[in-house]
Amino acid sequence: MIGEAIDGVIRGLEKRRKRPFWRMVQLFVARIFRGGGESDSEGLDLGVGLVLTLLALPGGFVSILLFEKYGTLLQWMRGATNIDPFASTVPDEYFFITLSMAVTGMVAVWRWEAIFPDRRDYMNLVPLPVSMRTIFLANLVAVLFLVGLVAVDVNAASSILFPLVVGATQSAFLFFLQFAAVHALGVVLSSVFSFFAVFSVLGLGMALLPPRAFKKISPYIRTLVVMYLVTLLCTSFALPDLLHRQPGSAPTWMRLLPSCWFLGLSQLLLGHADRALLSLARYTLPGFGTVMVVAFCVYAAGYRRHFVRIAEMTEGESTERAARQSAVGRWLDRWVLCTPFQRGCFQFVWKTVLRSEAHRLVLAGIGGLGLVLASQALLTALQSEGSWSNALVSRDGLSIPLVLAFFVIVGLRLVFEIPVELRSNWIFRLTLDAEKHECEPLARKVMLEAVLPWVLLISFPVYVWAGGWEIGVLHTLVVVIWSVLLTDAALIRFRKLPFTCSFPLFQQHSIVTLLGCVFGFFMFAVVTPQFESWALAEPLRMIALVPCAAAAWYGPRYVRRTDLDIEKRMIFEEVPTRAVEILQLGE
Amino acid sequence: MLEAVHLTKRYASLPAVQDLSFSLRPGQVLGCLGPNGSGKSTTVKMLTGLLQPTRGLVQFDGNNIQENLTEYRKLLGYVPEEPNLYPYLTGWEYLELVGTLRGMDRHDLESKINSLLELFSMHQSRHASIGSYSKGMRQRILLIAAVMDNPEIFIFDEPLSGLDVTSALIFKNLVQALGQQGRMVFYCSHVLEVVEKVCTDVLILRKGVVIAQDSVTNIGQLLGQSLESTFLRLVDDVDTMSVARDIVTVMTKAA
Repeated sequence: MIGEAIDGVIRGLEKRRKRPFWRMVQLFVARIFRGGGESDSEGLDLGVGLVLTLLALPGGFVSILLFEKYGTLLQWMRGATNIDPFASTVPDEYFFITLSMAVTGMVAVWRWEAIFPDRRDYMNLVPLPVSMRTIFLANLVAVLFLVGLVAVDVNAASSILFPLVVGATQSAFLFFLQFAAVHALGVVLSSVFSFFAVFSVLGLGMALLPPRAFKKISPYIRTLVVMYLVTLLCTSFALPDLLHRQPGSAPTWMRLLPSCWFLGLSQLLLGHADRALLSLARYTLPGFGTVMVVAFCVYAAGYRRHFVRIAEMTEGESTERAARQSAVGRWLDRWVLCTPFQRGCFQFVWKTVLRSEAHRLVLAGIGGLGLVLASQALLTALQSEGSWSNALVSRDGLSIPLVLAFFVIVGLRLVFEIPVELRSNWIFRLTLDAEKHECEPLARKVMLEAVLPWVLLISFPVYVWAGGWEIGVLHTLVVVIWSVLLTDAALIRFRKLPFTCSFPLFQQHSIVTLLGCVFGFFMFAVVTPQFESWALAEPLRMIALVPCAAAAWYGPRYVRRTDLDIEKRMIFEEVPTRAVEILQLGE
Repeated sequence: MLEAVHLTKRYASLPAVQDLSFSLRPGQVLGCLGPNGSGKSTTVKMLTGLLQPTRGLVQFDGNNIQENLTEYRKLLGYVPEEPNLYPYLTGWEYLELVGTLRGMDRHDLESKINSLLELFSMHQSRHASIGSYSKGMRQRILLIAAVMDNPEIFIFDEPLSGLDVTSALIFKNLVQALGQQGRMVFYCSHVLEVVEKVCTDVLILRKGVVIAQDSVTNIGQLLGQSLESTFLRLVDDVDTMSVARDIVTVMTKAA
């Protein structure tokens, strides 16, 4: 009897799934996950399962790491026996809120091109006997499904693990239930809010600007949104402490941060909100409602302006641009880029970095992190030194160009690995000499071009102003030499033309690379400025850096010398090393 | 002279091309015909050096092309089957990239790009991104990229797909002119009329094996039929008329 009922329900669902509307919803959901936009890109196509796993990972990891903070044994060993769980969870709760907002917001930015039906959908669906309203509703349902799925997925692990970790300190099961429910509600709502806030910002541009202007401006808006989301995530290091120290209601600038509203809401629901948090919680529901209404309105307006009129829009409009090479380009071609390979590929690499959405967004995320750390260093230096000139030549002040250079070099090295339009790399396979080993010099020149101009033109005069010629010259020299050495180290065994090689997502040495980055950052941007601030008091001490630089210079060269020729050959396909290789000798 | 000598290519022990031999002399326009899966694209990829043969070799002027692939490719102009281009580059930028990689002189490159874009009616759209180009426009960019460095050997794989009537006519005349100028042209196509019109010789492949190879006139005379009928007789055992009739029957059948 029950079996028959279940079968009936399954058959009913199956039947419904095959109706035109739901088939279209499925089509849009698949498009949002798998592609969209103008290109038939196969650059970095991750499966739905893998995407969802990757999105769920950060929350899970952070929750596990919190065992160390909330473990009762460890608390007892630290001598902390009477801890208020509500007060001590505020910073972590805030972190989870900003994390879910940042991750979901980035998903919205990443999939923006695929959220709206595009020309391909228009050409495929509009000639069919389906009304425009049905297409609109099907796409809307697909977007809502995506938001729900991402919000649940991003927060699923933390909604279970975090309350478990905190609940372990309490004997009452009711505490766990209440805490889990409030935490889940807070993070899921903040996720949904973040998605629709990004949607509203981009959608407003889409609804208000002419299509061509929006197309031009949209990548820059998205880059700014990513930087904002990274900054929002970074506020979790300082904001809970500031809130804790607020005696009255929260200051105005804090009310402008939506993450604070959701923290206020969760503390209110737990019954432990102070005046500052209460004042922030008041903004949650009006803010949430406004964003939802705006998002729906701009979605409808955008759909009407862009999708319905696709057929009226011309496809290939040409913008008159000077095709002539700039003076800098001519100078680079003459003095820096010695071969046709370097001249051609240098331009290609920069155009890809600046024009490919995925690459620009990854670089913006990493650059945003660098900017946050650099501004944090500047703030710390200003707080401890008082004046700008003293702050800049302090340990924290000296670290600023090093932090920025590190993130630019490592960020570029990372994006070089992300392929773009792999099917189009045939032109490089056809024209380039794989035996010439020119990929590494090319990549080095690109990386240094991204660092040296601002180090020499901005950082150098600033440090000369702050500390005089001696400090300015010495510090700039250190930044330049360290950047060259870091570039060398980052490019060990690099033998591909950026963006043209397939890239297996997980490699055996990924963890080692990650640890290497952390260690590299520590040496580059923490130890070096610390040494510099000590050495600049007596500049001759700087000589002590020479042996370190020599060792860092020799290491990569030694590796390169010992590599076999076949290991230096340019590649267009990177396959993970197999445990067993089959030699197909019979063929 | 370009020679394919006993070329064989297997994909995981499945043969795509078997023991294929032919030669391409200066001034010869060799058409390559064959149904889907006959090994045309594999042959083209081996001729361009994009794919290494499992057995046999491709020789240019008596030397194995694999021994000095870079030098060989400097003499090669290639139009692939699919117009896979970088969509975020403009047409002008793509051609500039190709010309620079081929080591062309900057001044010469710019003037050639501009002239060829004008001749292929692409000058207006030269600064629009390739992503916004139609298939025909992409194909024209590929054709310009293939001819602009004045190569000795041309390999065209379905070069007319997506081209409008005027561009297609220009291209057909261009292929003939290239042959008359003493260039070597290897021309793969499904369009039999075009092969019949522009090629001097023809190579017919079926299941990776050469089943006929001669001049276009000789093949026709040998069987006393047009190239289309000859091709159908050699390659397919399908009665095309009856298949068309069957399609109409299925189409009109009540559900």
